[in-house]
Order: sequence, then C-alpha cells, then structure tokens
Amino acid sequence: MDTSVITDLFDTWTDNALGWIGDNGEWLFEFIRLILEGTYDGILWLLKLAPFYVIAIIAGLLAWRLINRIAGFLAGVALAFCAFMGLWAETMSTLALVATATILALAVAIPIGIVAGFVQAFDRALEPALDLIQTLPPYIYLLPAIALLGYGPATALVATFIVAMPPSIRLTSLGIRMTPREFIELGQASGLSPWQMFTKIRLPFAIPSIMAGINQSLMMAFGMVVIAGIVGSGGLGETIYGAVRTLDIATSINAAIAIVILTMVLDRLTQSAAHRAKAGVR
Amino acid sequence: MNTVKEANDVLLDCQNVWKIFGARSSAAVKAVSDRGLSKKQVLQDFDCVVGVSDASLQVRRGEIFCIMGLSGSGKSTLVRLLNRLIEPSLGKIVVKGREIATLNAAELRDMRARNIGMVFQSVALLPYRTVLENAAFGLEVRGVPKDERNETARAALAKVGLSDWISRYPSELSGGMQQRVGLARALAADPEIILMDEPFSALDPLIRRQLQDEFRQLTKSLGKSAVFITHDLEEAIRIGDRIAIMKDGMIVQVGTAEEIVTKPADDYVAEFVAGISRIHLVKAHSVMRPVADFKTSQPHCDVGALLKASPEADIGELIDITMRSDRDAVAVVENGSIVGVVTTRGLLRGVAGMPAGAPSAA
Repeated sequence: MDTSVITDLFDTWTDNALGWIGDNGEWLFEFIRLILEGTYDGILWLLKLAPFYVIAIIAGLLAWRLINRIAGFLAGVALAFCAFMGLWAETMSTLALVATATILALAVAIPIGIVAGFVQAFDRALEPALDLIQTLPPYIYLLPAIALLGYGPATALVATFIVAMPPSIRLTSLGIRMTPREFIELGQASGLSPWQMFTKIRLPFAIPSIMAGINQSLMMAFGMVVIAGIVGSGGLGETIYGAVRTLDIATSINAAIAIVILTMVLDRLTQSAAHRAKAGVR
Repeated sequence: MNTVKEANDVLLDCQNVWKIFGARSSAAVKAVSDRGLSKKQVLQDFDCVVGVSDASLQVRRGEIFCIMGLSGSGKSTLVRLLNRLIEPSLGKIVVKGREIATLNAAELRDMRARNIGMVFQSVALLPYRTVLENAAFGLEVRGVPKDERNETARAALAKVGLSDWISRYPSELSGGMQQRVGLARALAADPEIILMDEPFSALDPLIRRQLQDEFRQLTKSLGKSAVFITHDLEEAIRIGDRIAIMKDGMIVQVGTAEEIVTKPADDYVAEFVAGISRIHLVKAHSVMRPVADFKTSQPHCDVGALLKASPEADIGELIDITMRSDRDAVAVVENGSIVGVVTTRGLLRGVAGMPAGAPSAA
C-alpha cells in the first residue's frame, strides 16, 4: 500500500506534467505539427501527381539500375499490383508517411551520430537512451504524442520519427569511429586540417555504415507506420486497423500484402545502394 | 655524399631524442634526464616502456638514410617522431633549421604537407579514389587547383611507371603497384624529405628488389632526402647511403654499409652482418696490403707490372681483374701512384669477413 501511494503519486505527477506541457507548449507543438504535416502533405502531393504506372515504372527502372533486370521487373509489377488491389492511394500515403518520418529522422540522427562518433562521452551517454527507445514497445510513443498533437498523421509521424532514429545514430557513430588507423595516420602525415580529415577520410569510410543505418531506419519506420494506424495515420496502417476492428479479413490481407511489397521494394533499393557504397570502399 | 662542410647541409637533425610510453611517462622522463636511468630501470621503477632512447642522427641533403632494426627496436616510433606524429618525451628534432616541437598546429600541418612526405607499409591508398586522385591527394590537401594537381600527379605516376593505370582503383592493382602509387603520392607533393616506413616489407622478394633499385634511382635523380625504415639489413645496404642500426630503442651504430659490415660496433651488429655477402661491400682499400710489406714477402714480383684497380673497387671487381691476370695480385692505384696491393689471400679474407687489419675478427 505504501508502494501504491508512490506509484499513484508518480502517475499524477506524470499526468500533471503532460498537462502542463500541453497547456504551455501548445505553440511549440502546433509548430511541430505544421512542419510534420506540411512535409507529409508535400510529399504525398508529389506522389499523387503521377498516375500509378508512372511510379511503378520509376521504381522498376531504379531497381533495374541498382540491382538487375529481374528485380526491376518484379518491383514494377509488384507496385502495379498494389494499384490493382485498389489500395494505391493508401499505399502512397504510407509511402509518404515513411518517407517524411525517415527523412526527418535522418536529418536529426546523422548529425547526432557524427558528433557521437567523435565525442566518446556523448556516445556513452546516448547509449542508454537509445537502448530505452529501442526496447520500449513502440505503442508507448503514441500516447503522449496523441495527447500533445492530437489524432492524425502528425502523431504517427512523431512516433515513427522517434523509432526510426536509433539505428541511424548508432551506425553513423560506429562508421565515424571505425576509420582504419593507418588512414588517420596518412591524414596526419599529409597535413590535413581537422575538417579535411572529416570530409576526406572519416566520412567516406563511414558511408557504408551510414547507408546501412538509413536502411535500418527505413525498416523501423515501416514497422511503426502500420502500428500508427491506431491514431489515424491514414494509409495502409489505418486500413489494416479498420479491417481488424470489423473482422474484414480479406481487406486486411490485401493491405498487408501491399505493405510487404512496399517494404521489400524500398529495402532492396536502399540495401543495394548501401552495397554499392561498400563496393567503393572494397 | 661526400664530406659535409656546413650545418645547413643537414636537413633533419635529431638530437638525443627519447620517447617513453606509459601512464607515468612524465615522471620517468624526469628521472631519465636527472638521474640518467636506463631503459630497464625505467620499466622497473615507473612501469613505462622506452620506445626510443637517446637517439641522435643527422640526415643530409640528398642522402638516403636507413634505419634498420628488428620489430620492437623502436624504428617505427623513431620515424614518427621525425614528423611529430608522435611527440618526443625528451630531446630536439630540427627539420630544415626549425625545431618542430615549437611549431603550432597550422605550421606543423604546413610542414608535413610541404616538407616531409611519408610512405607507409600498409600503403594506405584511399579505396574510394582512383590512382590519380590518390596520387594528387597531398596537393589537394594544400588547395592546389584540380588541373594543376592532376598534371603533377600524372607526372609522378609516370616516374613510377604507372601511366596506364591512372583511372583504376587501388583494389585493381597488385601490391607492388599499390606501393608505387604510395611513392608517387609522396613525390607529387614534392617534399625535401621522404619518410619511408618499411614500404617494401610486405612485397615478394623479386618485386621488392626491383622497387628498391627504382626507389634509390628516383630519389637520387630528384635530389630528395629519405629516411628509410627496414628490418632487412640487405635492403638497408642496397638502398642506404648511411645506415643506423637500432636495438632496444637505441641506435647502436651509424655508418656506411661498408663500415657496418667491416667494423661492426658490437656483437649484436656483428651477428647481423655475418650473413651478408661482402663481395660488393668491401672495397680494395680495406683488404690491400702496404706495398713494402708485399715486396718483402714476394721479392721477385714487379709491382709496376700488376693490373691496376682503384681503392673504391669492390671485391667482385677485384676478382674479375685477378682472373684476367696471370699474377695473384692487383695493384691499387690512387692519384697515379700505387698505394697497396690486393693479393688473392687478401680477397679471400675480405669475402670471409676478416679485413686485413683485423685478421682475428670473427
């Protein structure tokens, strides 16, 4: 009973804090919402500009250039299949959600990772925070986000953003730290300034690792975007959530197939881009 | 290569340099400078490792200076002290008249970019750059415009015989070719001094010999100075004008190849040179007998009728000359007068490593 008092106290305190943040930080969250939804709407508008076959052909060509002809054909056909299932609009809004959340996550995560790669103390302090983010069930992020940003894509984007960051931070930091010693020595002996050392030696050697991080972040974002269907993210996640509630098994399976297709196409594309980066560094 | 007249001929001067590694190195350094502690005592009392101990050497303009030692002898540490990749614990290093310990970060960078090049055993070619971009790296760092630096790099690659490979990536090249690119990269930056850290150690013997000869020729024709680190005495002898032998962080002996082979400073050096072929190292002046001495033992021989050789002729040449003659002796002539006689016995002594002056040496 003693302990229950403590937990009750903690709970009230958390609720109050959240309420206080909601009341006093409204302008901030409104601003965040604007940025998130603005980016999302922009990307979605762009994706919807072209009919489905144009997008499918572009994806096919990309896969052909980056992987091979068969992959190109499969990617094009698979995306077209999403349209034939009648899920093209949902597929595109999911793609826009993932793209928005991942781009924003990378814009924050890669600089953080670079700093962590240089400052070991920062890296060590970051480690438990990243562990926490990655081990908490992803639903957890939806609740405070919904309290602060309301029902809709912005909440889904924030939760996805949080989940997508850790792999990129970790792998960028690792890449920066893993520069082979002899190349650091080469840089020093050639008289490189610290900035040149970063741009000409450390960063190029880190690219494969950073690319792997981008791929991982993208995959995390896909996982989260479906869960975020609960908070009205729109797209395939919401379709699945709706189908589950009404026990519409057929629709849920269609939407699941569309998600798998989208995920696989993007995964293969980014992975082969990462491999190409690696091939450059042997 | 001949006598040094002035101090400004010394490009790189390293005076009583120490490097001590370890947590308590500053205390150890103090003990060394105050009480003259030995390497062993430093390890015992301070738990610090002495990497380089009281090393002094001078590299003259146009000279190839080899530092030879086994692994752990401190040679790699010493060469890194010369461009301050490692800070010395004690002592002074002067490059082109400037003490490098006093340079600030920007001045040091500038000196490394302009005056001291370095070639590594690992080559360290940037894998994401072509051969040409690698060779132009040093100039790129200095902010030389692209066309200009590519032209210089192309010329440097031509010197090492890689003109046809400029647009390839390092992974497409063999080990020997990669090391040539490493050398071209150092040459393109046009430094006065090139530090070579065991550059050929990882190559197979045939390629290694080829590169040794090329390196020596190239360095001499360009008038560069070089400090060449190696664990191979034969390599040091092939390449170096002078050789320093290192052991346990100390320079045991400095001298020309002939000096080291014929007059080893201690048993350690003697053991090293024991296996070295003397045929091209030992010169007539160290195996010849005085003329008077020869005349007393062979009164019937006319010294003036013997075939002649210079004092700088090595044993190989002397053998050739002896074979062409019907006598068993060759006269050594300097400035028109006969200064000594090399007999067949003298040649045998020279080959076996027992110079005439020291018949009892091992």
